[in-house]
Amino acid sequence: MSKKKKTQAEAVAVPSKIYDFCSKKKMILGIFIGVIVVLLVGLIARGVNFAIEFKGGTMLTYSYSGDVDTNAVKDTVKGVVNSNVNVRRGESLDDGGNQLIISFTSNEGLTVDRQTELTNALRTAFPDNAIELYDSNDVNPSSGREFLLKCMVAVIFAAVVIIIYIAFRFRNIGGWLAGLSSVVALLHDVLVAITTSVILGFEFNSNTVAVILTILGYSINNTIVIYDRIRENHALMPKAELHEVINLSNTQSLKRSIRTSITTVSTMFIITVVVLVTGYDSLLTFSVPLMMGLISGTYTSIFVAPVTWQWWMGKKSAKAKKA
Amino acid sequence: MKKIGKSTFFIVFALIALLSFSSIVGLDYQFGDVPKTYIKGVDDIRLGIDIKGGVDVTFAPADDYDAKENQLDSATAVIKTRLSSLGITDSEVYSDTKSDRIIVRFPWQAGETDFDPEAAVKELGETAELTFREGTSTGEDENGEPILPETIVISGADIDSASPMTQQDETTKEIEYVVSLKLKDTGTEKFAEATARLAGSDTPISIWMDNTMLSAPTVNNAITDGKAIITGNFTADSAKKLADQINSGALPFKMETKSFKTISPTMGEGSLDAIILAAAIAFIFIAVYMIFLYRLPGAVAVIALAGQVTGSIAFVTGWFGFMNGSTLTIPGIAGMILAVGMGVDANIITGERLKEELRAGKSLDSGIKTAYKKAFSAILDGNVTNVLIAIILMGAFGVPSSFFSKILNKTIFFMFGATAEGVVYSFGFTLLAGVILNFVMGVFAARLMLTSLSKFKCFRNRKLYGGDAE
Repeated sequence: MSKKKKTQAEAVAVPSKIYDFCSKKKMILGIFIGVIVVLLVGLIARGVNFAIEFKGGTMLTYSYSGDVDTNAVKDTVKGVVNSNVNVRRGESLDDGGNQLIISFTSNEGLTVDRQTELTNALRTAFPDNAIELYDSNDVNPSSGREFLLKCMVAVIFAAVVIIIYIAFRFRNIGGWLAGLSSVVALLHDVLVAITTSVILGFEFNSNTVAVILTILGYSINNTIVIYDRIRENHALMPKAELHEVINLSNTQSLKRSIRTSITTVSTMFIITVVVLVTGYDSLLTFSVPLMMGLISGTYTSIFVAPVTWQWWMGKKSAKAKKA
Repeated sequence: MKKIGKSTFFIVFALIALLSFSSIVGLDYQFGDVPKTYIKGVDDIRLGIDIKGGVDVTFAPADDYDAKENQLDSATAVIKTRLSSLGITDSEVYSDTKSDRIIVRFPWQAGETDFDPEAAVKELGETAELTFREGTSTGEDENGEPILPETIVISGADIDSASPMTQQDETTKEIEYVVSLKLKDTGTEKFAEATARLAGSDTPISIWMDNTMLSAPTVNNAITDGKAIITGNFTADSAKKLADQINSGALPFKMETKSFKTISPTMGEGSLDAIILAAAIAFIFIAVYMIFLYRLPGAVAVIALAGQVTGSIAFVTGWFGFMNGSTLTIPGIAGMILAVGMGVDANIITGERLKEELRAGKSLDSGIKTAYKKAFSAILDGNVTNVLIAIILMGAFGVPSSFFSKILNKTIFFMFGATAEGVVYSFGFTLLAGVILNFVMGVFAARLMLTSLSKFKCFRNRKLYGGDAE
C-alpha cells in the first residue's frame, strides 16, 4: 500500500505546451483514405509483381563457356519475355560446366516457340559463349500460394493474440478498444509498405513477407510505448478526460518517438544508399518499403492508435449515456 | 537487491567484451592437421542462399514413375520438412507438375567441411517408408535386395509421432538408444489386433525402413496402448535421424537426382559486403547519436547494444551450446534489425525518463532508479508482444516435431500441411534471440553499468546524465 501512496504523491510534470493530437481526426482519416486510394490506383495501373514462387513461371538452365555478364543476360531475356527476370550463375557438380539459371514469371507455361525464340536471342547477343539449353522447368505456384496463405493466417492470429494481450495489460483503461486500435494502426503501416512496393513496381517476394513481419513487430512496440504512458498518467490523474490524458502522454513521449524513429529510419536509409552505391539493387525491395513502413509506424503510434481509441471510447460512453 | 558497487561496471563490461570477442573471433584449436572449433565465430555462420549461394538439385521420380499432381505437392511438403530436420532452415523448393520435377536449393559453400551436401541430397530423395510387417524376410531377390514379408501391420501413415529415447536393456543392463512411437487411433487398433494374434507365437513383427530391416522382435503380450518402441543398435545420432525421418513422413515415390549444381546468391555476389558495410555505418551513426543525445547513459547504451548485436550473432552461430544455430538470411537480418531497433528504443525511453526525473529535481541516485523502474513497464509490454509474434512464427513455420509447431499446426493452422519454411522461421529465430538479449543487455546490463558508474566521483555531475547543472 505504501508503494501506491508514493506514486499518488508524485506530481505529474506537465510540459509547458501540450499538443492537441485528438483534434486531428479528419486529417488521420484523410491520410488513411489517401493511402488506400494510392494503393488502388497502383494496383490498377501496375498490378502486383508477384515473384516466381507465388505466381509460377519458367526456370531455364543454359550451359555456356567463357565469361558472361549476368546483367546483360537479364536485359536480353527481359526483352523477350517482358516480365521480372532473375539470372544466377551455376557450376554443375556432375561435369563442372558453367551454367546460367534464368527464371521469370509467366501466366502460362513457356511454349516451344517462345523457348526457341529466347535461345536464339541469347545466342545472337552472346555469340562467343556457346550457349546451349540444358534444362527447362515450369514452376508450379501451389506451394508458394499455400505459404502466402499460411503467412496471412499467422499474421491474423498474431494480431488476435496481441489484441488479447493489450486488452489484459491495459484492462483498467478499456483494454479491448486499445488492442483493436493498435491493430488499425498496424494495418495502416502494412498498407503503406505494400503501397510503396506496388508504386515502385518491386517484386513481391519472401523479403516482402519479412518486411511486413518486421513492421508488425515495430508498429506494435511503438504503439505500446505510448499506451504505457497513457496508462501511467491515467493512474496519476484518474479524473482527467481521456483526450486530455492522451494529449499529455503523447506530448511527453514525443521526443522519444521522434528520436527512436530517427535511428530506425536512418538505418534503413543507410542500407538503401549503400545498396544504390554498390549496385545490389535487389535489396531495395527490402529496404525501401521497410523504411516507409517505419515512418508510418511512428506516425500511427502518435496519431492513429491513440486517437482511434479515444474516438471509440467516446462513442461507447455516449451510447452508455443514452441508454 | 544487492548493492551495486563501483566494480560492477567493470565486471559487466568485461563479460560483454568477452561475449563479443568470442562470438566474433570464435575459438579454434589446431591439433596437428585437425582443426577443432570450440566456439563458433563469425566465420562459422551459415549464410542463406540469398546472401551466399548454394546448391541446386533437381529430383525426378525414379523408374519413370508418373506422379500425380497431389502426390507431387505432398512430396514437396515432405522435402521441405526433411530440409529443416536436417538443420537446413533456409531453402527454395519448386515443383514442376508438367515434367514431375522437384527443384531444391539450399545454402552450401564450397570447402565447407562440417556439412556434406551429397549425403543430404541422398537423404532428401529417399522414400523413407516405415513399415511393420508380419514375419521376417524370406530371402533375396535377383538384385540382392531382401524380399519383404507381405502382410503389413502398420505403416508410416498410422504413426502420430516418433521421438528418440534411451532405455535400459533388460538383460545386459546397458543404456541403449531407441525410437519410441506414438500411434494414431487407426494404428493402435491394427497394432493391438496383430500383437494379440501373434503374442506368444514364434512369428516376429519386423520393422523396415524402405528395404532395410531395423529389428524383428517377437511379441510377448498384446499391445493396446498405441505405443511401440524400435530397438536396433542405434547411436544418439541414428536414433534422432530415424525419428526425424518418421516425423517428416514418407515420399509417395522414390526420387532420383537429375542434376546437381552450385548456384550464385539471389541478391547477387558480394551482397554480403554491402550489408556489412551498411550495418557498420548504421551502428557508428547510432553510437554517435546516442552519445550526443544522452552522454553517459548514451555511452552505456552503446556498450549494451554492442552486446546485443554480438549476442544475436552468437545465437545464430550456435555459440550457446543448448541451442542449435540457424542460417542467416535477409529475413533473419530483418529480425535482428527489429530487435536491435527495440533495444535502441529501450535505451531512449530510459534516457528520456532520466532527463525528466532529474529536471523534476530528483537526486542522481533516485533519478536513475525511478527512470529504469518507470521505463520498464513500456519496455516489458513492447517486448513481450514481440516474443509472442516470434513464437507464433517459429511454431507455424518451424520443424513440425517441435513443441510449438505441434500445438499450432493442429489448431490454428489445421488446414495447412505442417510444412517448414526457413525464411519466416529464420526471422522468428533472430527476433526471439534479439528480444531476449534486449532484456539482458538493454535493460539489465545497462542499468547495472549506469548505476555502478554513477558511484564514481568523476561521474557525479548531473549534466552527464542530461540533467540541469546544479
